[in-house]
This record gives sequence, C-alpha cells and structure tokens, in this order.
Amino acid sequence: MRRHSRKSRSQEEEWRTRNKTVLTYIAAAGVGMIGLSYAAVPLYRLYCQATGLGGTAVAGHDTDQVEMMKPVKERVIKVTFNADTHASIQWNFRPQQTEIYVVPGETALAFYRAKNPTDKPIIGISTYNVVPFDAGQYFNKIQCFCFEEQRLNPHEEVDMPVFFYIDPEFDDDPRMARVDTITLSYTFFEAKEGQQLPLPGYSYN
Amino acid sequence: MNFGSKSFKPRPPDKGSFPLDHFGECKTFKETFMRCLRENSFDNSKCRLQSKDYLECRMDHQLMAREPLQKLGFKDLMDPPPSQEESTP
Repeated sequence: MRRHSRKSRSQEEEWRTRNKTVLTYIAAAGVGMIGLSYAAVPLYRLYCQATGLGGTAVAGHDTDQVEMMKPVKERVIKVTFNADTHASIQWNFRPQQTEIYVVPGETALAFYRAKNPTDKPIIGISTYNVVPFDAGQYFNKIQCFCFEEQRLNPHEEVDMPVFFYIDPEFDDDPRMARVDTITLSYTFFEAKEGQQLPLPGYSYN
Repeated sequence: MNFGSKSFKPRPPDKGSFPLDHFGECKTFKETFMRCLRENSFDNSKCRLQSKDYLECRMDHQLMAREPLQKLGFKDLMDPPPSQEESTP
C-alpha cells in the first residue's frame, strides 16, 4: 500500500512538473502571439511600402521622371472627377469637367471650382482619394490645391487646378491591365482648430 | 485604425499647392483650355498647348513657381522644328 502511494506520489509530482513546463510553454507562446500581432502592423506597413501593395506610395519618385517620361499613347485612361464637401463647410465645390482622357506618362490639367456663397470668409482644406486604390500609387499630382488651407472671401468664386500625370509604369503592371477608369475625388472640410484630417505625414495612429 | 484593411494613403503633391487665383488673372487661359477640351471630347492630349499656356500664365502672375517647361512634361511642345505635330493617340 505504502509503495503504491509512494509511486503514485512521485508520479503525481512528475505530472505536476510536466504540466507546469507545458503550461509555461503555452503561456510563452500566447504572449509571443500577442506580441506578433502588435508587431505585424508596422511590419506590414514596411512591407507594403517596399512592394507598393495596397496603394501605398512606393519610395518617392524623383521629379526628373516628369521630364524623362514617355507617354504611352496606346493606353487611354478615363479620369473622372468627383467633388465633395463635408457637411460643415458651406462652399459650393464642383469639378469643371466630369471626365478627361489621358495616357500614362503625359501631364494633364483639370479644374475644379469653389464658391463661397456666404457673407463671411471661410477657410477650407481638402484631401483627396483615388479609386481603384491600387491605381493610386501611379497617380502623381505635380501640383494641386489640397492639404493647404485655402481662404475664400464672401461671395468669391475661384478656379482650382489639378496638375497631374499617371506613371508610365501603370501600363506595365499586370494588376492594372483591366483598369481603364480612375476616379479622383476631392473633399473639402472647413479648417478649424484642433481638427484632425487624414493628411500625409500627420500621425493620427 | 483598421488592421489589414486596404485603405488609400493620400500623398502630398510634388510641388505643393497652387495659390488661389483670387483675381481671375488666368481665367481666360482656363476658358480656352476648357473650350478646347469640350471641342475635343475631353481628350487631354489634344489640349496640351492650352494647358501649357495656362501654367505659363500662372508663372507670369506669381501664381506658380517658375519652372522650365520640360520639368512639367512639356518637352515635346518645345521642340525646335515647327513642322513637328503631336501625334494623335
């Protein structure tokens, strides 16, 4: 009887230590998984920047490219324009053309118009969006009216140009083979103190 | 903030923002450009001369930093032989 209990006791102890080790390993793996899931976010972002997936900017293109690039005349792309205003801003904002046909590698000009119908000056600031997202990495704006505050005096109306081009490499990308329409959307917000906009370089994470 | 969902990341323009043309100094050039677009079914390639004129107007009125036109992609419009025409797409 005693021998049996001694054996069972040592067996119990063995099981206990083994259980403890297993539990420790499981706990370590659990902590490791949680850590990995947090690390995945910046790692994924780095990966996207390196490979250009998901519409993120692929390392800055140099401005010499504009001078050197050759238009891909066979690939005509329709660029459609969209204009939005946030509910809080009372501007009338619209594109002056619904669409324009461009080819990659050729600079293009397009216009929006904004009017302040109220009796007080309003300062607006805009951001933009390109659909399809993946095409966004090829859509390069040389100059536009976005991301900086624009002030319109009462009853003032102005033309707002966008000067852009589509990267000629767009034509080489197999993922873009079926893309023949790109939509550019601008949205104007009223510039207020402490307002956060999804502006580039503006960390809001 | 969404993990892993594809979202668009806006990029700032290469040369920054156009100052607003509060006095409409280049409005006529813009009108010429828009008329050209309407006449050519909004084909940008056919109206590049007008867009070049508009940008030159901006540069003349300090509404845009002056730059050589080649850097704005207008190299083909500045080639010396006057008989050279832009090929239609």
